[in-house]
Amino acid sequence: MKYRKIISAMCVGVISLAFMSTFLCAADEPGKLVMKTIDSGLTVLKEPSLKGPEKTQERRQRLWEEISFIFNFEEMSKRALGQHWKKRTPDEKREFVELFTNIMKDAYIGKTDTYSGEKIVFLREKQEDNKYATVQTKIISNTGTEVLVDYRMLSNDGKWTIYDVIIEGVSLVNNYRSQFNNILMKSSYEELIQKIKDKKGKEEISAK
Amino acid sequence: MKKSACLTCFFVLTLFFSMTILWADEVPFEETVLNNKVSDNNTTNNNEEDEQSEPEEADEMSEVAQIKDPLQSINRAVFAFNDKAFHYFFKPVYTGYNSMIPVQARVSVRNFYTNIKMPISFFNCLFQSNFKGAGTEMLRFVVNSTIGVGGFLDPAKSRFHINKQNRDFGQTLGKYEMESGTYLVLPFLGPSTSRDVIGLAGDAVLNPLTWVSWFFLTPIESIGNYTYESVNDLSIDTGDTYESITKPAIDSYIAVQDAYIQNRIKKVKD
Repeated sequence: MKYRKIISAMCVGVISLAFMSTFLCAADEPGKLVMKTIDSGLTVLKEPSLKGPEKTQERRQRLWEEISFIFNFEEMSKRALGQHWKKRTPDEKREFVELFTNIMKDAYIGKTDTYSGEKIVFLREKQEDNKYATVQTKIISNTGTEVLVDYRMLSNDGKWTIYDVIIEGVSLVNNYRSQFNNILMKSSYEELIQKIKDKKGKEEISAK
Repeated sequence: MKKSACLTCFFVLTLFFSMTILWADEVPFEETVLNNKVSDNNTTNNNEEDEQSEPEEADEMSEVAQIKDPLQSINRAVFAFNDKAFHYFFKPVYTGYNSMIPVQARVSVRNFYTNIKMPISFFNCLFQSNFKGAGTEMLRFVVNSTIGVGGFLDPAKSRFHINKQNRDFGQTLGKYEMESGTYLVLPFLGPSTSRDVIGLAGDAVLNPLTWVSWFFLTPIESIGNYTYESVNDLSIDTGDTYESITKPAIDSYIAVQDAYIQNRIKKVKD
């Protein structure tokens, strides 16, 4: 009777290990890439020589160099414009991608200025037919608040890039698409571009 | 005498709400009323998205919510008012409060309020037939009220890793397939929908603080209480959630609206 228990316990152990190992193998590609990039970003934020408000610009620049490669800004812009993307000329597309990249950079790199030791934990990842993947992570703040952040990823010849970030169910790209659609329903594409540029200008003034 | 009256009222109302919820899928009276209202409004609706063409984005497009916003001009006015209230009242107040009170104390205050408001998530767990969640909430309440010194500490989470279930009545209604309805911006309370306004009323009934302020506090005192609670919440969040949506936005009204609707859809799905 005792042996039976021991043997069954061992069996359970072996089987769960086998499952675990396949899971660990699966966690290889997109999940590992995201976590590695986040870790290198956090290293920059924790770097003592880059702390303090006077180092803000330098720190932002370093951080941008570390993490920007993982984002697919063209895909983000395309999805954010939705059905309006097709109607644009290649030049307009290039300009739009540049503007949209700048919005992302200012908004989300700027957020890291208030970094105060938040932890980022990997939860799980899902892959669909080798082309799309979702990496789920959680940010835990010092006060114990937890924020779920999902990264939607796309594989281009085995190179994984992020095309959307979903924070507590709010998709960044969908959020901008709602805004752009709303503006484009009432006004022209040129006016939208002007609005984006105006915003950038305003921010530069307020930063000075 | 007062106590027993309060208790009976509470009991009757919760019973009433649970009954309506239990029968909701058979007699969805609230739903039909709301749907009629919405279809009336549809004629003036100008916020519907155009049909989407790109096939490869079909999966993404289907996730985009159809937002009904016939009251946009009023909503925008209230949104502008709330934005001013946030920047010129709440922000200075919580910044000052932050510099005086250490973060641990503020978190304790939040824990205290969360603990008192346990019935909201407890009953909503029950309504959503999430019995495990209801049990969790009950356990959290018992642990935090005793070991956690009347709810000021949160040992249930920090020691026993029992996480809070955030359930509200609007979410419950959503689970019973009630449409979110018309988008509304409420003064001070912020974005909402017609369904979530009913949800707010339901949660107010389930919130013991409502009953305490109804029976024992003057209106000024209860307003003070609610303001204090929200300032304390904001001070922990440092207004980050609001500003991280509005600051990078091109049209902050639409950005907040979309974020609210997307977040609610996720909560109903959970």
